[in-house]
Amino acid sequence: MKPAAFAYHRPESIEETLRQLAALGSSAKVIAGGQSLGPMLNMRLATPSDLIDLNDLTELAYVREVGDMLEIGALTRHAQIAASRLVLDKCPLLAHAAKTIGHYAIRQRGTLGGSLAHADPAAQLPLMAVTLGAQIEVISSRGKRILAAADFFESAMSTALTSDEMIKCVRFPKQGAQEGSSFQFFNRRHGDYAIVAVGVTVAVQGECAVRLRLGLGGVGAVPLDCMDMVQPSVDRVADAAWAAEVALAVSQALNPEDELRVPAVYRKELAHTLVERALVRALERAKE
Amino acid sequence: MSHPEFHYIGQHLPRKEDYRLLTGRGRYVDDVEVPSALHACFVRSPHAHARILGIDAQAALEMPGVVTVVTGADLALWTTRQRMAPPIEGLQAMEMDTLPVSKVRFQGDPVACVIATDRYLAEDAVEQVRVDYEVLPAVSSMCQALDPASPRVDEALPSNLISHQQAIHGDPKARQREAYKTVESTFSMHRQTHLPIETRGCIAVWDEGRQHLTFHVGNQVPHPYRTTLAGRLRLSESQVTVISQDVGGGFGQKIALYREELTVAAVARHLKRPVRWREDRLENLLASSQARENFCRTRAAVSAEGRLLGLELEIIEDFGAYSFYPGNYLARVVAMILTGPYKVQDYSYDVKVVLSNKVGNGPMRAPMAITSWLMEGTMDAIARELGLDPVAVRRLNMLHPHELPYTMATGEVLADITPRETMEAALAAIGYEDFRQRQKQMRAQGVYLGLGLCTVVESTTYGSRFYKAAGIPGSGHEAAWLRIEPSGAVNASVGLGATGQGYETSLAHAVAEGLGVAPQLVHLHLGHTDIAPYGMGSRGARGGTAGGSTLYLCARDAQDKVLLIAAHHLGLVDHTSLRLRDGRVEQLAHDEWMATDLTLADVARTAYLDPTALPQGMSPGLEFHKTYDPPPMTYSNSTHVCEVEVALATGAIRFGRYVVAEDCGTVLSPVVVEGQQHGAIAMGLSGSLFEHIVYDEIGQNLSGTLADYLVATAHELPHFEIISMHTPNRSTPAGIKGMAEGGVMGAIGALSNAVNDALAPLGVVVNEQPLTPMYLRGLIRKSFQSTNKA
Amino acid sequence: MRAMEKRSITLTVNGQNHEVMVEPRKLLVDALREDCRLTGTHVGCEHGVCGACTVLVDGSTVRSCLTYAIQMEGHEVSTIESVDAGGKLSPLQQALHEEHGLQCGFCTPGIVMTFEAFLKHHSDPSEDEIREALSGNLCRCTGYQNIVKAIQKAAEQMRKNPDYVAP
Repeated sequence: MKPAAFAYHRPESIEETLRQLAALGSSAKVIAGGQSLGPMLNMRLATPSDLIDLNDLTELAYVREVGDMLEIGALTRHAQIAASRLVLDKCPLLAHAAKTIGHYAIRQRGTLGGSLAHADPAAQLPLMAVTLGAQIEVISSRGKRILAAADFFESAMSTALTSDEMIKCVRFPKQGAQEGSSFQFFNRRHGDYAIVAVGVTVAVQGECAVRLRLGLGGVGAVPLDCMDMVQPSVDRVADAAWAAEVALAVSQALNPEDELRVPAVYRKELAHTLVERALVRALERAKE
Repeated sequence: MSHPEFHYIGQHLPRKEDYRLLTGRGRYVDDVEVPSALHACFVRSPHAHARILGIDAQAALEMPGVVTVVTGADLALWTTRQRMAPPIEGLQAMEMDTLPVSKVRFQGDPVACVIATDRYLAEDAVEQVRVDYEVLPAVSSMCQALDPASPRVDEALPSNLISHQQAIHGDPKARQREAYKTVESTFSMHRQTHLPIETRGCIAVWDEGRQHLTFHVGNQVPHPYRTTLAGRLRLSESQVTVISQDVGGGFGQKIALYREELTVAAVARHLKRPVRWREDRLENLLASSQARENFCRTRAAVSAEGRLLGLELEIIEDFGAYSFYPGNYLARVVAMILTGPYKVQDYSYDVKVVLSNKVGNGPMRAPMAITSWLMEGTMDAIARELGLDPVAVRRLNMLHPHELPYTMATGEVLADITPRETMEAALAAIGYEDFRQRQKQMRAQGVYLGLGLCTVVESTTYGSRFYKAAGIPGSGHEAAWLRIEPSGAVNASVGLGATGQGYETSLAHAVAEGLGVAPQLVHLHLGHTDIAPYGMGSRGARGGTAGGSTLYLCARDAQDKVLLIAAHHLGLVDHTSLRLRDGRVEQLAHDEWMATDLTLADVARTAYLDPTALPQGMSPGLEFHKTYDPPPMTYSNSTHVCEVEVALATGAIRFGRYVVAEDCGTVLSPVVVEGQQHGAIAMGLSGSLFEHIVYDEIGQNLSGTLADYLVATAHELPHFEIISMHTPNRSTPAGIKGMAEGGVMGAIGALSNAVNDALAPLGVVVNEQPLTPMYLRGLIRKSFQSTNKA
Repeated sequence: MRAMEKRSITLTVNGQNHEVMVEPRKLLVDALREDCRLTGTHVGCEHGVCGACTVLVDGSTVRSCLTYAIQMEGHEVSTIESVDAGGKLSPLQQALHEEHGLQCGFCTPGIVMTFEAFLKHHSDPSEDEIREALSGNLCRCTGYQNIVKAIQKAAEQMRKNPDYVAP
């Protein structure tokens, strides 16, 4: 399958990119790693008149500490995030999740910005952004905006980006030194998008969970931030029974779609299993 | 492992074809450069069933690079229709247009072909071809197809039942009346597709001066394909050459002449310009032949001890919309060999094959794959219902060595097979008793392990007498030539079609053994219909038995003549004390073989350049031709044992050990055979776990990309442990039996049986595939609900 | 209808420059095969799943069906044809041969390119790591077992002989 014809642009700077985005409008698409957009172009599911290649914007590939945040440039490849000592140290949940994206070859090319813009409901990085409460900096020739992750993802494969905007970087809050975290997911085959994915961070003081973040991917059109839902479970003794209770409550609150291949009841059960597993594992790590 | 009788057969030698494939210098169809070739791209129906009211290609014709657009009406002038009408009782004949003229029968049915200067432009133009359809209701399931009120897929036929074969041997109904119990089981196998990594493709080069078509195509049966291609184009066979060099996998998808390929050939001749076509993966999933969609039921009459008294089999197959292959094929294979290694003479089968608005079926590696799942699943069901150990039930019913040869109820004769031996070897290797202990311990901890057993009796090679008895036109013989050049170089050829099975290596062993030279020095020429002799090609597992045997016999003839010449030269009375070994003539003296001065090269030089020095009456040259017809049927056998763990919470299956004991007789190349075993098991497991072509209720193919049609990657498959056994077939030259499909059969059965064994405490029985986590979890959930567990 | 202008670009493949005329939409794999006449890189799916089209770009694995040739200006592309330098098989190619890690050969160049890069950065991979990396390459013939063995063998060879330079 060959793509429909497009004109090609390869800006050498961010300013040039933004100018092109402003000029070309909604009939243009940006390409970074190409792992998600490439298939869509080849299958003519996307037929932009113009393709803007971001790969020369190497200044957008970085991982750095900025205060109590970890700032990662939009063009950072999944492999770089997965291999980064800084990420493993300061935001281990993100590192663990990044390691599970696709497989080796995909991780060499796919980018953080690309994954967020693609907004697959089950993808790791959108889930991490929501779970960790990340901030997404979005730029255009009109200026910049900072969006909370929860506001960035609007629906399946659909974000708040306007046609002249691109993602510049994402800021993830660093995890507390006392925090344990766990990323759990389930798929049919290694490297496939998860059917359900869970990210958990928990801080423990004595026997009690004092801080709990929980996010679910694959159970709705966008990643689900369950932090509010699980707030009643904070400041309580956190043990196996607690984990089971939280998992049950979360899964009961879910209302996934019934799909041909994956019935809703299966997703709910899977979420239950994975949330419980993630909580238990995160607690173990927190108590270490 | 080398067979004690053989010197070259059985040697562990790496493959001869590897160098070019490893270095990217293979010659697959798409690699063949043909200057100025035009590119074809097909317009395909978006509807499963629709009348073609009109095709308007005007806009497409005006697009850049477009040379022409052809439709079914054009092809009707340039080609004959296809008639699939073997004289078989119960089989309806079908006639098909080259490209549909009046209606389309499946989503993806090609209705027009755009010819342009490159594929990109051709795809652009395809989008501009306007086809006016009148959508018709589609037949989207076998259930619907059986309903006499359903729309007819082929209006020339009285119904959608294309084939109905039945047979009753003995009196299975009487056995049911007498039986302690009748155990009934159902098995639902899902639709799959071959998915070779290289999709279909072809290049047609028409030489107007010579009135000759050279057709490059990756194909398993070059000569029969050429015969068909010539016939459909109303050309003489002398006017068509088919060339199949390197092929990126076939698995049965590259046998019959496809309508797209015929279209490309016809257009090339019409335009007097070369035309090429490369199918893309979406087309491959949409419009290349598919396979395996069956619903089956067995009824086993059994005694209280588990002895099988009688067996009934019902099969319904969803055959798709077109009969590119005879619709009765399943009856012949599955039903005929079902009882496999078990003693039962009261057996009946009823096989219905129906048409639907899906892609037409084609044989897929182990077309009879469901056989072992059916039989072994039935044996497990018997064990389950009678509360017996599944191994004990098999031991009770399985053929003993002294009971061979055994004539099955259907008249098939089983000889030189060792099912009991492979079963015991596999069970010993897996440590059956230890496993049962471990299983019990783990169950107490809430971990569900299972062991699945599947013994396979694999029909490998079909001789001409088989086809005759079945009323199927066609031959099972194979043809070979061998030529020793004046320098002593050895060239050979056979009518098989290589698609990755390592023929250049394994067949070199056969020639080496027959002739007496090292396999490394034997050069096989395959796939070119002007060079290779007319053979029936590669299908099933006939390569070893049919191809290998023919070459072996041909090479023996060659050695014979070589030694006659040598004997003459050495002044001996006859050549009985001579042999050729590693290209040198050796003489037996006092029970020891001694090298003489004579080499193959010496003999060859004489034969070609000094014929007056040859024995009286002998003609010059060293060129040989041979044909060979194998026995009506040969069989290999194996037993697969698969260990799994099923996670109750998610329905996920995790593999433990996977052990196979396989007896495939004489093995030409153990390296190649092991590769075939791995590949077959992998395909069976992948199919049972992941692969599923899904059509919805209006016949839309929902498995359009590789994100929908899943195949196993390196991460999903277990480690295969192979125990090799070698009982030669006593009626084939060198005892060759053939193999390559049994792995698929065994894997499908062993995995399902393992899952059932794991979930036995829950009373769960899987009777459909694929074994998705969602399916298993659904059964587990139902079981918990019925016992009121959480 | 869109204008489909071809542009002249320079592709640097296996150390050689090729001046080719391509539409922006031309896939890198097609440009390699047709314009550079390097047919060792194969097309298997055109949607990034099968890995048969894998090449190296600046030493890193890339699916050439998800890359447009025009994107490659200024980059170094390495294909399967560059691996057997001076007619000698690489340790990986040799190991695949010895362990019967290929049958029809269609997926083989993609696997070789993936692992020439992978083994450069992972000198002692576990079987699990190998299978993980290999999961991006589909093979329909071998069942993967012998490919894994070959990669393990090659890794060992390369540890013993650190002079080998992958493309």
